[in-house]
Amino acid sequence: MSLKRPLATIAFVAASSMALAACGGSGDAAEPDADASTETVSFTWDRNIAGEDEEPEYESTTAEVPVNPETVVTFDMASLDTVGALGGEVAGAPLESVPEYLAGYLSEDAFNAGTLFEADLVEIEAQQPDLILISGRSSALWEDLNEIAPTVDLSPAGTYLETLERNTDFIGEVFDAEEEASAAVDDLLAQIEEVRTETAELGTGLGVMVSGGSLSALAASGGTEGGFTYRSGIMYDVFGVQPVIEDIQGATHGEPVSFEFVLEQNPDHLFVIDRDQAIGTEDAEAAAAVLDNDIIDATTAASNDQIHYLNPVAWYIVYGGLDTTQVMIDDVRAAVA
Amino acid sequence: MATPLVESTPTQARPSRTWVGVLISAGLVVLMVTSLFIGVSDVTPASLLSADDGGRAGFLLVVSRIPRTVAVVLVGASLGIAGLIMQMMVRNRFVEPSTTGVTEFATLGMLGTIILTPGMPVMGKAAVAAAFGLFGTWLFLQVVKAIPVRQLVLVPLVGIMLGGVVGAITSFIAYRLDLLQSLGQWSQGSFASIMAERYEYLWLAAVMVVIAWVAADRFSVIGMGEDFATNLGLNYRRVMAIGMIVIAVITACVLVTAGIVPFLGLVVPNVVSLIIGDNVRRAIPWVAGLGAVFIVACDILARVLRFPYEIPLSVIVGVIGAAVFLWLLLRRRSRAH
Repeated sequence: MSLKRPLATIAFVAASSMALAACGGSGDAAEPDADASTETVSFTWDRNIAGEDEEPEYESTTAEVPVNPETVVTFDMASLDTVGALGGEVAGAPLESVPEYLAGYLSEDAFNAGTLFEADLVEIEAQQPDLILISGRSSALWEDLNEIAPTVDLSPAGTYLETLERNTDFIGEVFDAEEEASAAVDDLLAQIEEVRTETAELGTGLGVMVSGGSLSALAASGGTEGGFTYRSGIMYDVFGVQPVIEDIQGATHGEPVSFEFVLEQNPDHLFVIDRDQAIGTEDAEAAAAVLDNDIIDATTAASNDQIHYLNPVAWYIVYGGLDTTQVMIDDVRAAVA
Repeated sequence: MATPLVESTPTQARPSRTWVGVLISAGLVVLMVTSLFIGVSDVTPASLLSADDGGRAGFLLVVSRIPRTVAVVLVGASLGIAGLIMQMMVRNRFVEPSTTGVTEFATLGMLGTIILTPGMPVMGKAAVAAAFGLFGTWLFLQVVKAIPVRQLVLVPLVGIMLGGVVGAITSFIAYRLDLLQSLGQWSQGSFASIMAERYEYLWLAAVMVVIAWVAADRFSVIGMGEDFATNLGLNYRRVMAIGMIVIAVITACVLVTAGIVPFLGLVVPNVVSLIIGDNVRRAIPWVAGLGAVFIVACDILARVLRFPYEIPLSVIVGVIGAAVFLWLLLRRRSRAH
């Protein structure tokens, strides 16, 4: 250390000792909580440690979380769904993004924890949660949130159904509802099997997303190097609809296309996600208005009255979770009926 | 034979100018015809004449191809004119609506309508966007007036900064309301969803081009400065007001139908000025024509490069436009200094 700048040196020393004092302080404060159950469940996942816009790089991460946590915060709507469906309750979430059909799973005085992408760290810290659940959109928040409470990233791993099963099992363990969890998953799997026998006879399908008046074709399948594209892949991978075109890429938001594209591919069924409605703007040009035009009218899907509007919140925001999967099954049932 | 002492460029260049004019017109015709026959569906001159497809080719030509081609031409021509008029009014070669905050203001207005009155018809949104664009133009002119030294590069720099501030406000609002992705979606310039009954607002932009043409000489005089214009008996303020309205309406119409198309209004008038000089009346057809050629070519690329999907037009215009802009700057620099 240079002594040419005595003031800087003094400042440095002072700062270091303060930092050390602070560390000691927090160590003292971490006394075992008398009320908390000592039982824990561990969950291991591959955490992406690369920064945004970098090649993903994974590190195996394990979290030990308490059984029957009192205060749960979730940024993952699918987790809110599953926690609630298994009898738990969530104390904090991005309230503006909670779909109506899941609102009952929030505790009565639930607090707003931020948005699907950003956390209100101050508020969360103040609420002293016992468990924080994140996924996908909020994955990058892990380090900050894990400082506050054990934080588990329930981001998709493997296929949609594998993820659903894994996450439901884990949440079941945490809330001491293992049997309910496996029963719920089995029930959904049986229903899906049933639906698949009907979609097998359905002919071809194309998933499109309508946003801001323009159209994207949704990716048909998953399991490639980019991982599974759930949102759109679900229609094909899980429910067995035969994609009218296989090689769509464009990751999570699909590939911009013209109306002519739809006419040319001419699927028997068109499955529509209205993104504007999903995020709650309910734009003037709702998806139905965008698709109400002469070119779409000329498609087989339109002339056979086989344009199906999916529950946009379930398919675009939540996808995953017990109730949501039921909503999706019902959507597909309605389409094949 | 000109004597060596006389500037002889005008007489020498005239034949070549006619030649370039013919080239641009021919290029435009070829590109427009190409544009009519490029798309996902098979529309060829042969298929139009044969009746095998039940008139589908003719139907697509009328409902999809012609509207798209007309829309692209109108956007190219009107944006070029908006840039030209703006350059005359500010007396600076490096301004256009998207580098002076006008486009950003119009976008802010548009975002406002989406948030506050989502059910508003597109015409109403365009009107609000135009009103905001008008204010943006006025504000920019006031700011430019207040700059003591009007250096060539300083004026567009101020405009870009102004646009940056307004753009940041827009992004912030969109961010808080979780509309960032929607904002990106509709402000991204693309003609993918253009078809009959979805582009007609652009005719209003065409009307503005006609107004600009009628008032062309006045804009030439405006370009010589306020004192000079007033000395010639011109109502300076009124001509400025007409110019502002022309710019704002064109910007708004293009924004609501196609999105933001950067650089075009900057590059095209500059290239034209290199060929024929600064006479607005003579430049207008050139700017309109070259603007149309440029953008039709870009739109064809947008459709072809990732066939059958589309690349947003703004990406292609941005890349090519930025390259030409740089070339203009560097070229000018080497001459001026």
